[in-house]
Amino acid sequence: MPETSCYILDNGAYTAKVGFSTMEPKVVPNCIMKAKSERRRPFIGSQIDECRDASGLFYILPFQKGFLVNWDTQKTVWDYMFSKECCPVNFNEIPLIITEPLFNFASIQEAMTEIFFEEYECQSLLRINATDLAEYNYRKTHKNVCTIVVDSGYSYTYIVPYIKGKKFRDGIRRVDVGGKVLTNHLKEVLSYRQLNVMDETYVINQVKEDSCFVSMDFMNDMEIARKKGSENTIVKDYVLPDYTTIRRGYLRDVVRPDEDLEQQTLRMNNERFAIPELLFHPSDVGIQQMGITETIMHSLNACPEEHMESLLENIVLYGGNALFPGFRDRVYNDVRAAALDHYDVNVTVAENPITYAWEGGKMIFRDPDFYSFCMTKEEYEEEGKALAFERFDI
Amino acid sequence: MKQFLLHLDETESGRVKDADRRKVLDDAARKRRARKAVEALEQDNFHEDPHADLVMSKKVPKFADSNEKPTRKKKSKSAEYYKLRFRKTFAQLVEEDVNFRPDPPNYLSAQAPPSKFPDRHFCAVCGFPSNYTCIPCGARYCCVRCLGTHLDTRCLKWTA
Repeated sequence: MPETSCYILDNGAYTAKVGFSTMEPKVVPNCIMKAKSERRRPFIGSQIDECRDASGLFYILPFQKGFLVNWDTQKTVWDYMFSKECCPVNFNEIPLIITEPLFNFASIQEAMTEIFFEEYECQSLLRINATDLAEYNYRKTHKNVCTIVVDSGYSYTYIVPYIKGKKFRDGIRRVDVGGKVLTNHLKEVLSYRQLNVMDETYVINQVKEDSCFVSMDFMNDMEIARKKGSENTIVKDYVLPDYTTIRRGYLRDVVRPDEDLEQQTLRMNNERFAIPELLFHPSDVGIQQMGITETIMHSLNACPEEHMESLLENIVLYGGNALFPGFRDRVYNDVRAAALDHYDVNVTVAENPITYAWEGGKMIFRDPDFYSFCMTKEEYEEEGKALAFERFDI
Repeated sequence: MKQFLLHLDETESGRVKDADRRKVLDDAARKRRARKAVEALEQDNFHEDPHADLVMSKKVPKFADSNEKPTRKKKSKSAEYYKLRFRKTFAQLVEEDVNFRPDPPNYLSAQAPPSKFPDRHFCAVCGFPSNYTCIPCGARYCCVRCLGTHLDTRCLKWTA
């Protein structure tokens, strides 16, 4: 009996995107946080919005290097998400779509199947890669044959080619740079150059979100950042939050030092574009891997040549890092320069890079074959976890 | 020390002359430091749990918004149960994967290979492109001013 809605959980390593297919998704931090200022309780998921002073937040994350390893933390956050406080659901009546990382390890997959059928008593379950949902979303709106999905998230960036709606496993590539590395590097750099902010991951992540951009011409921007006075169009000050009058910091032009002395600021100069640059040159911090665009070409070369044209015409970017201004243009420029001249290159950035895969889940639920992708509780009880490995292409 | 130096060839510059006498990190130590720096980028927190010294009392009643009894028939298992049930470290998982997916494509084979382009170098102090290398530790610097800062603050001061 088909249901009118389903519950979609894009279970990211930093934020989970959760909600019914009939509603807008909620973006919930997938972690437990502890604050210095609030000694009585930890903050689970979105409860952090109730925290008055978010300085020195301590993170407890269920994911490590993009894989679910801390199950107690995850269970606590899930219980919160499925409760009245966040987005209540009865899995007895509503099918669930949940995302998992590519090449998810076997024992994590087993644990996922078990916990959702036994603990949460799911009636029907679809475990799927977030990139599959993103590709589905893209294919249904563009009516194309092949797609390259670039998922640039918290733990890493995956480049996944899809040929006729199916992921081409030999072409999948991972760059081990994601939002976490960028924030940690920014923290390290600022702590050495200006002010010790090593304890302030939460705040510095906001600094990164508010002030960084992807450079179109890196060396030229470096020259601009070297200049003094009004010729330097890059340098800005970031006003840090003080949690009395300012709850979230902001970027502003450099003013004379005697004005606004009471505000604590960070000077943002070459940091503004050298940080996101790590996505394109991981070797800048000693991670000996190709950057995103070089990896896209590397992945393409592993694909059958007859699909090259269609793949290059349909590159789609999503994930938190796709929010950096200039990200799409830089990927386009670099791929255009590297690809053969007679191919067209087309790069699209998702309208909302955070919820793009979640929206894909909404669409896949309306697929006439949706229930054939799922596994039911009866099937689980009949055939056990082995069937899950056959049915779900993780 | 000064007097001893005077006996050496006067045409050599002081900086070059001193170089072979200073402690210089060997290749292995430099690699170890580089690896540590990359590992640090993976850390979740750089400070201690601010609640580590708190003793949570289990007797504190939990107040709910309503007086409703939970309607669930089955008693749900605690988070602690799943911690023990599925306890595996990341390293163990990678090791297991060799048996689960022995042939590529798998987690390890999907990793992007090293770039074909040469590394770029940036000043360890100011972040601008750099041309020089600190002799003792191998860090990069761009000018004498940055070298001074580097020597005063970081050079050989990290124990790796």
